[in-house]
Amino acid sequence: MPMGHTATQQAGSGGLTATEHRLANGLRVVLSEDHLTPVAAVCLWYDVGSRHEVKGRTGLAHLFEHLMFQGSAQVKGNGHFELVQGAGGSLNGTTSFERTNYFETMPAHQLELALWLEADRMGSLLTALDDESMENQRDVVKNERRQRYDNVPYGTAFEKLTAMAYPDGHPYHHTPIGSMADLDAASLEDARAFFRTYYAPGNAVLSVVGDIDTEQTLAWVEKYFGSIPAHDGKQPPRDGSLPDVMGKELREVVREEVPSRALMAAYRLPHDGTREADAADLALTVLGGGESSRLHNRLVRHDRSAVAAGFGLLRLVGAPSLGWLDVKASGGVEVPDIEAAVDDELARFAAEGPTPEEMERAQAQLEREWLDRLATVSGRADELCRFAVLFGAPQLALTAVERVLDITPEEVRAVAKARLHPDNRAVLVYEPTAPEAAEADVTAEETETAQ
Amino acid sequence: MSDAAATMTFHPQPQPGAATPWAFPAPERGQLPNGLTVLRCHRPGQQVVAVEINLDAPLEAEPAGLDGVSTIMARALSEGTDKLTAEEFAAELERCGATLDAHADHPGVRISLEVPASRLVKALGLLADALRAPAFPDGEVERLVRNRLDEIPHELANPARRAAMALSAQLFPAGSRMSRPRQGTEESVERIDAASVRAFYEAHVRPVTTTAVVVGDFTGLDLDAALADTLGAWTGSPAAPRQAPPITADDTGRVVIVDRPGAVQTQLLIGRIGADRHDRVWPAQVLGTYCLGGTLTSRLDRVLREEKGYTYGVRAFGQVLRSTTDGTGAAMLAISGSVDTASTGPALDDLWTVLRTLAAEGLTDAERDVAVQNLVGVAPLKYETAAAVAGTLADQVEQQLPDDFQARLYERLAATGTVEATAAVVNAFPVDRLVTVLVGDAAQIEEPVKALGIGEVTVVTG
Repeated sequence: MPMGHTATQQAGSGGLTATEHRLANGLRVVLSEDHLTPVAAVCLWYDVGSRHEVKGRTGLAHLFEHLMFQGSAQVKGNGHFELVQGAGGSLNGTTSFERTNYFETMPAHQLELALWLEADRMGSLLTALDDESMENQRDVVKNERRQRYDNVPYGTAFEKLTAMAYPDGHPYHHTPIGSMADLDAASLEDARAFFRTYYAPGNAVLSVVGDIDTEQTLAWVEKYFGSIPAHDGKQPPRDGSLPDVMGKELREVVREEVPSRALMAAYRLPHDGTREADAADLALTVLGGGESSRLHNRLVRHDRSAVAAGFGLLRLVGAPSLGWLDVKASGGVEVPDIEAAVDDELARFAAEGPTPEEMERAQAQLEREWLDRLATVSGRADELCRFAVLFGAPQLALTAVERVLDITPEEVRAVAKARLHPDNRAVLVYEPTAPEAAEADVTAEETETAQ
Repeated sequence: MSDAAATMTFHPQPQPGAATPWAFPAPERGQLPNGLTVLRCHRPGQQVVAVEINLDAPLEAEPAGLDGVSTIMARALSEGTDKLTAEEFAAELERCGATLDAHADHPGVRISLEVPASRLVKALGLLADALRAPAFPDGEVERLVRNRLDEIPHELANPARRAAMALSAQLFPAGSRMSRPRQGTEESVERIDAASVRAFYEAHVRPVTTTAVVVGDFTGLDLDAALADTLGAWTGSPAAPRQAPPITADDTGRVVIVDRPGAVQTQLLIGRIGADRHDRVWPAQVLGTYCLGGTLTSRLDRVLREEKGYTYGVRAFGQVLRSTTDGTGAAMLAISGSVDTASTGPALDDLWTVLRTLAAEGLTDAERDVAVQNLVGVAPLKYETAAAVAGTLADQVEQQLPDDFQARLYERLAATGTVEATAAVVNAFPVDRLVTVLVGDAAQIEEPVKALGIGEVTVVTG
C-alpha cells in the first residue's frame, strides 16, 4: 500500500463517526457527535445550484439564497440573522454550480433554535416573500457582483474562463453570480416557482455535528421538519456531460485596465468522486500548489517571469472538473514567454510523472487541507452534506484523505498526460491598457481561436 | 402564498437549554534557557497544531528610506538556512504538510506555522533554523525585492488596499512610519538588499525578545524536549528596552477622492484613531461599534443594505495599530464598504444620518443585550481551532496584555451597560472628526459628496 505518509493514525477521520436517517417526507439527516467543545453545527444542503438555472435567469439560485434570509411564516424580516446572532451563533449561506447551502454554528444549548429556523423557512418561506424583499435583495446582489467581480482587477476572469470551458447552452456555462441583465429580469413569480420546485425536503440533506445527543436531535428534527409536505416537482438538471478533452485550444485576449499581464487557463479534468479526480488534485498540487511546486520554482524562482503562479481545482460532479491556472506576469515579461515555460513544464511532467518526494509533499499538503476542513464542526457538517448530496454517501467524507493517499504516481502521470495539454484548455490572456484607453474602449474584448 | 403554511405544523420558538460553561483557554507561560518566552495550550482534538512567533521588530525600527525591509526580512527567513537552500527549505516544509506565513506590521513581525501534530517536531526544527540561522542569500533577497516591486501595482489597483493607504497618508504626520505603506513603496523597496536585510535581522531578532505560542493536541508529544532541541538551540545577545513613539493623527473632518474613472462602485473608508485595548473604554467601544456596524443587522446595514440596497455590506470596526502598557498606543476606528457609484452621495448622507441619530438618541437596551449575547456567545465557536486561539494569544503578547485578557474581556463586555456603550461609540465616531476616503469615479461623485457638507473635498489621481 502506498500509504506510508499519513500524519494521523486514522488518516483524517480522527475516529469520527456519523449516523444516517431519513424522514417520511424524504429529508435525509446525518448526525455526528463530538463533545470536545460545547458547539453544534447545523448545515442544510439543497440539491440546487446555478446549473439548474435556465437561459435568461442566470443568478436566480443565488438571488434566491438571499431571499431565504428575508423572513418566513414565524420569522419576521431579518429575524433569522437576529435570532441566531442573538443566541451567540454564526450563520450564512452560499451558492455554487451544484448546490446551495445554509449553515448555523451555535452554542450547543441553542441547537434547537437553529433547527426551528431552518424548518420554518423550508416549510413556509412563501408566506413572507414579497416585492419589497425581492427589490431590495436584487440591489444587494447587484452590489455584491460589482464588489466581488466588476470593480476588481481580473475580477471577471473566472466567469470568462468558465464560459469558454463549458460551451454556450451547457448548464455550467455561466457562474452562480449571474448577469446584471438576468438579475434585473428575475421576477417575484420566478422566485416563487424556484422555491416550489427545488426547496423540498426530499431535495435536501440536513447535517448536525458537534456536542449533541443523537436521539434528542433526531426528535427535534422530526418535530420541526417532519410535517413539511413532500413534493417532487424537480426536473433533473440539464445534461452536463462533455467529451473528456476539449479537442482544441480556445483563447481570448482581454485588453483592459489591469496592473500586469496575466496568463490564465482552464483545463477540463475528471469528474469529482473518481480516482482520476484525486490524481488530478495531486498533479495540480505538484505543478502549482505551493512554494515548492514546479511552476513556482520555474516561473517565480528561476525565470523570475511571474509575481505568482499556481493551479487550483474546482471539483464538479455533474460536469467535468476544472483546473485553473493563474499566472500574474512580472513587469516587462511577455505572455508567450510564460506560456512556453508552462507548456514545457506540463509536457515534462506528463512524460516523467511526479518524483517520490513530490508525491510525498503533495499528499502531505492535501492531507493537512483535509484535517483543516474537519477541524471544525461546521467544516465537518458541510463535508457530510456534500458527500450525501453529490454521492449519496455521507460516510465517504470521513475517508476522503485515505483515498487521496491511495493514489499512485503512475495515476498522477496518466491524468496529467491525458488532460494537461494545450488541446484541452481555454486560455485567457490579459494585456493591460492605459486608463484613458480603457475608458474609450470598454467593449473591445476580442476573441481569437487558436489553430 | 399560503399553500405550504396550510399544511406544515408550526411550533413556538424553542427556548435554549442550559449552557455548558466555556472559558477562553489559559495558556501555560514559561521561558527557555535562552530567554525565549513560550506560551502553550493543549487543545484536545485539534490535530493541526498552530505555532505563532512574535518578533519584537516593529516597523518603526526600519532605517530611514528602507520602508519594507522588515517585510523582506520576514519573507527571507524561509529562503534558506545554514543547512538547506531556499528550495530545499520550501520542500522540507511542505513535506511536513506545513504552511508558514510571515508578515511585518507596526508592532513587530509575526510568523505563523500550521502543521499536523505528528510532524510538529520536524516543522519546529525548520522554523527554529529559519530564526536561528537564516542564510539571506544575495540572489534570493534580490528576487524577493523584485517580486515585492511587482506586487505593488496589484495593491494599488485594489480599491480597498488603495483606500487604506490613502487614509493612513491623510491621518498620520508625514514623518511618521504609520503614514506610509507597511510593506514599503516602490522607491524604498528598490533600495533593499541582502546586507540591509541582515543588518535589520541582527539589530532586532533575538531569542530574548521572541515569544512562541504553541496550541493544539499535544497527546503523545514531548513538547519540552521538542522546544529545547529546536527553538532552545538559538542563542543571541540581550536587548535594550524599546520606547515606542506616541501615535498622533489629524482627524479634521475632510474627504479625499482617489479618482478611478469609470469605476462601477465607490470604495468607502471613513476613519480616525482612538482608544486601544489598554484603555478602560475598550469593551464599551467594542460593544458600541458592533451595534453600529458589526453585522448586517447592525445600524449601518439595516439602512444601507437591508433598506436601501446600496451595498453588499458596510462594517464598522476597531483595529489595533499598536497597544502598549504605557498608554501611547492607538486603534484605527473605521467604517468601510463599497456602494454603487450612483448611490455614493445618498449612501454617505444616510451613513451620516445614522451617526447623528446614534449621537442624539443613543443605543437601546435591546440592541446592547443582543450585541453582548453575540459577542460573548460566539466565543466557543470562534476559538474552536488551534490557529484561532494561537492568534489571539499572540496578539495579547504583541500588545503587552496579560494572558487572561481575552478571558476577562467576556466578563467586562457582559458588565458593560447601554449608556457606556453609547458614549464609547459616539466618541469613537464623532461626525465632524472623520476622514473620508472614497476610491471611485470623481467626475460622478465629487459634486454629490461636496453637497453633503461633511468636509473639504480633494481629488487625487488613482
